[in-house]
Amino acid sequence: MLKNYIKIAWRNIWNNKGYTFLNIFGLAIGITCAALILLWIDDEMSYNEYFANYEDIYTVKNTQTYGDETFVFEATPGPLAEYMRNEIPGIGNVSRSANSESLFSHDEKNIHQTGKYVEPEFFDIFELHFLQGDATTAFNDLHSIVVTESMARKFFGSGNVLNKTLRLNQEQSYVITGVIEDLPENISPRFKSSWLAPFKIYENNNEWLQGWNNAIQTYVKPEANADIASLNETLYGFIQTKMEDSESHLSLYPMDRWRLYNEFDKNGLEKEGIFKYVRLFGIIAGIILIIACINFMNLATARSEKRAREIGVRKVLGAQRKMLITQFLSESVLLAFLATLLSIALIYIFLPPFNDLVNKQLVLDLSDPLHLGALLLITIICGLFAGSFPSYYLSSFNPVKVIKGIKSKSSSAAFIRKGLVVFQFSISIILIIATVLVYQQINHVKNRDLGYDNENLVFLPANDNIKKNFEGIRNELISSGAANEISLSGHTPVNIGSNGGGYQWPGKDPESDVLISMESVTPSYIKTSGMELMAGQDFNPNVEANESQVIINETLAKMIDKENAVGKVITRGDSQSTVRGVVKDFVYNNVFGNETSPLILYPASQDFNHLIINIDPDKRSTAVSAIERVMQKYNPGYPTELIYADEKLEEFMSNENMVGKLAAIFAGLAIIISCLGLFGLAAFTAERRIKEIGIRKVLGASVGRITTLLSVDFMKLVLISCLIAFPLAWWFARNWLENYPYRIDISIWIFVIAGLLAFLIAFLTVSFQALKAALTNPINNLRTE
Amino acid sequence: MIKITNLEKFYKTEEVQTLALNKLSFEVKEGEFVAIMGPSGSGKSTLLNILGMLDDPDGGSFIFNGQEVSGYNERKRAQIRKHNIGFVFQSFNLIDELSVFENVELPLIYTGVKPAERKEKVNAVLEKMQIMHRRNHFPQQLSGGQQQRVAVARAVVNNPKIILADEPTGNLDSSTGNEVMDLLCELNEAGTTIVMVTHSEHDARFSHRIIRMLDGQKVTENLNVLV
Repeated sequence: MLKNYIKIAWRNIWNNKGYTFLNIFGLAIGITCAALILLWIDDEMSYNEYFANYEDIYTVKNTQTYGDETFVFEATPGPLAEYMRNEIPGIGNVSRSANSESLFSHDEKNIHQTGKYVEPEFFDIFELHFLQGDATTAFNDLHSIVVTESMARKFFGSGNVLNKTLRLNQEQSYVITGVIEDLPENISPRFKSSWLAPFKIYENNNEWLQGWNNAIQTYVKPEANADIASLNETLYGFIQTKMEDSESHLSLYPMDRWRLYNEFDKNGLEKEGIFKYVRLFGIIAGIILIIACINFMNLATARSEKRAREIGVRKVLGAQRKMLITQFLSESVLLAFLATLLSIALIYIFLPPFNDLVNKQLVLDLSDPLHLGALLLITIICGLFAGSFPSYYLSSFNPVKVIKGIKSKSSSAAFIRKGLVVFQFSISIILIIATVLVYQQINHVKNRDLGYDNENLVFLPANDNIKKNFEGIRNELISSGAANEISLSGHTPVNIGSNGGGYQWPGKDPESDVLISMESVTPSYIKTSGMELMAGQDFNPNVEANESQVIINETLAKMIDKENAVGKVITRGDSQSTVRGVVKDFVYNNVFGNETSPLILYPASQDFNHLIINIDPDKRSTAVSAIERVMQKYNPGYPTELIYADEKLEEFMSNENMVGKLAAIFAGLAIIISCLGLFGLAAFTAERRIKEIGIRKVLGASVGRITTLLSVDFMKLVLISCLIAFPLAWWFARNWLENYPYRIDISIWIFVIAGLLAFLIAFLTVSFQALKAALTNPINNLRTE
Repeated sequence: MIKITNLEKFYKTEEVQTLALNKLSFEVKEGEFVAIMGPSGSGKSTLLNILGMLDDPDGGSFIFNGQEVSGYNERKRAQIRKHNIGFVFQSFNLIDELSVFENVELPLIYTGVKPAERKEKVNAVLEKMQIMHRRNHFPQQLSGGQQQRVAVARAVVNNPKIILADEPTGNLDSSTGNEVMDLLCELNEAGTTIVMVTHSEHDARFSHRIIRMLDGQKVTENLNVLV
C-alpha cells in the first residue's frame, strides 16, 4: 500500500513540476531557515557543555544594594577563596581567577594573548584536557605557564613545547609546563583564554589583593554531596563575618546559566539574557516553517479540482477515508523529504555567511545523530503538518459529485485558504516592521550624543613603557598634528568598570549608600575625551596641583548640591576630596540607558590601563601611521593595536545588530515564501476563472480591468493582513522597546511603509499571473471548455 | 441479490426540494443483466449511486444480499462495496497517474490482497480483456475502447457479485461500444450480475430485463425478448 502511495506521490510530483517547484522551493527555504536557527540555538544551548562537569561548577556572585537598586557583580575579594576553603564545609574546590591580556614573545614573534591567572585547583574544577604535561605538576614552579594548542603552534609550530620559554611583556620568562586542548567557541567569553599562569604571580604584582576590594573571580566546584542551598545560606553573610559593614552578599551561580541568563534586574533577581533571543528565534523558526507549510496547504487545496476525480474513483473502488488521508500525507511527507534534500544543499551554501552574521563557527554534520535526527524530525513534522488540512479536505470529497464533475463550492476551504494567506502576510508585515524598528533603534543609539568625542577617540592598552613615557608620547603626537590631545585612564569612556560605595558629603543621609563609578585619569582626560565641563575648572596640568581634587559628573553633582556642587567635600573613609569641576553627564556602560550613574574622575599617577588619543579628524589617515611611529619609539617590541571608540561602542550593540540583521533576513524569507504561495494561488485562480476571463474579454473588458479583477481579491487579503499585523506589531514593538530606556518613538510611518511594501510585493506577484491570463487570446480560453 | 422497496431520495436546495426517486421498488436476481433506461433527470443515475452504496436513500428499504444496507455508515458501505461491487463508468474514470496494471490492481490493494496474488489476478484479467500488451501504458496512451476495457478489467478483478455500469458505451464509437457490451455479456454469462444505466436502446437489448424510469418512478419493466 505504502509503495503505491509513494509511486502515486512521485508521479504527481513529476507531472506537476511548476506546482512541485513552488512547494519544494518554499518548504526548502523554510527548512533551511529553521535549520540555521536551530544550529544557532543548539550552539547557544550547549554553551559550556565542553566542561564535562559543567553542571557542578559555580562562580561566586556578589550582590550589593545601594538605595533602591541591587547590583549583582562577579567581582570578589582576593582573600575570599582561602577563607571559603578553610571555613565552609562542603565547598570543595575553589580557585581565584584574574583575566589579563599580555604580550608574549619568542624569537621575533610578539603576540598579544588573553589568558588567566588561576590557582592549581582551577584544573580540578574545570578538568581541562592536557595534551602535553600534567595538571598536577603544571604550577609547581612560579614562572610556569600552560598554553592552548593553538597558542603553542603560533610560537613553536607543531611538536613538543614542554619546557620551552615565552617572555611575558618583554620582561619575565615563563616555562611552558602544559599544553591544553583548544577550548571550543561555545564557552562563556570569559573562558576564551589562550594561557593559564599561577595566580600567585598576579597576587605578587597586585598588593591590593590583600584587601577586601572586589576585583577577581572565584570559581567553585562543591563536594559531590554538598547542599547548594545550604552553601548559599552560609555564603550570604560570609563576608560580614570578616567585614561587618560590607554590602556584599555572596551566592553560587551555576555554570549552566552563565550563557543564557546571567542578567539581573534592579532587585537583583535573575532575568533572561541570551535566552530571550533563543526563544525569539525559536519562535521565528517555527513561524517560517508554518508559513512554508501554509503554501503547501493552499496550493494543494486550490488544485483539489484536479485531483477530485482520482479521489472519487478511489472511494468508489473501496478506499476508506483514512486510506486517502494516509495517501495524501505520504505525498506531503515525500515532498517535505525532497525539500529537505534541497535545503541541505542550501544550508551548506548559506552557512558561511550566516556564521559571519552571528559570529559563530556553526557546522552542519550529517553524521551527528542530533543534526540528522533534527532534520528528519523537521521533515516529518513539516510533511504531516503541511499535509494535514489538504488530506482532511481532499478525503472529504463526495465521490458521486466529483466523478460527475460537479464542482464543489468548497467555501470553507476557500475561507481557510484566504485565512492562511492572511496569516502569512500578517507575519511578513510584522517582520518588516520589526526590521525597520530594530534598525531605527540601532541608528538612534549610534547617532546619540554620548557626551564625548567618540568618533575621534582611539585607545591603546597602556603598559609600563607607555605609562613611563606618557609625556614624551603626548608631546610628539600633539606636535606631529596626529593627535589633538592624549591622556591615560583606568578604563575607556565607553565602559568604566570600577565602582564602590561608602561615600559621604554634607547633607547626605549617612545611612543610605550610593554606588559611584570611579575613574583614575591624567589631567588632560576631559580635553582628550571631548567632554563638556559644566561648572568649576578642569584639572590643573600639573598632577600634584590637583591633589585631593576631583571632577564629578552632573548626576553626582545633583545628588550633592543641585545648585552648585563645586567646592563641596566628598569623603570616603579617611580620604577627603574637593569637587573641582562638574562634567556634563556622558553615556558609559549602558548605551541604551537614559540615566547616568554617578561618577568621580580623580587625578592619579597610576592605576592606568588605557591610553586615550583624540585624533585630528582631518588627519585621520596620517594619524595612525604617526601613532605607530611614536609607539615604536617609546614602546618597542609591542604591536600597536588601536581600538576605535565607535567600534567598541558597536560591541555593546552586537545583540541588537544581530537581531536587526536576522529580522531583515527572516522578513525577506517570509515574504519570498509567502509570495511563492501567492504566485501559485494566483495561477490557480486565473486557471479556474479562465472561461470567465474569455467571456469578459469577448464582451470588451480591457486587459487592465481583467488584471484588476483578478488582483483585487488578493489585495483585500493584504489589507486584512495589515489590519491584523499593525496592532500586533505595535504591541511587540512597544514591549521590545521597553528594554531600552533610550529609545525611539514608534512612528506611524513604519506601519505605512511596511503596509505599502506588502501591497507592492503582493501586487507584483499576483498581477504577473493576472496579466498573463488577461493577455491570453479569449478564443483559446473559451475553447478550454 | 438486490431488493429495493419504496426507495426515496430527495435533493434539497434553499428554495426547492426535488424528488429524485419516488417510492421505487424492484428486484434484481443473481446472474441477471438488467438495463435501466429513462430520460435525463429520471433518477437512473441516483438509483445506480444508491445501488452502488455511494449514496444513501432518504426512505424505503434496500436489501443487498439479504442484508438491509440503507442507513449503513460510509465505512460499512465501503466494506460491502469493495468486496461485492464493480463499477464501469461512461468516462472510464481511470487514474491518469497509474499505469494500466496499477489501475486494475487498485481494488485488490484496498481489499488487502497480497502483492503476489495481486499480480497473478491482474495479469489474468488483463489477458482475459485482451489488454495485456498495454499493461505498462498510462490511460492517456490508450484509445477510448482500450480505456473502457481497462475499466471493465478493474471492475471485475475482485470477482464482484455485481457490476454497476453507468452508460458504459457513452463515450465510445459503435463498434468499440459493441465490443464492450460483448465483454459485459461474457461476464454475465460467467455468473456476474449486471445492472446497467443506459440511454441506448441498442445497448439495452443486450440485457435480460429493461426497467424504464420517469421522474423517479418506474414506468415499465419488461423482459427482453431478444435475449
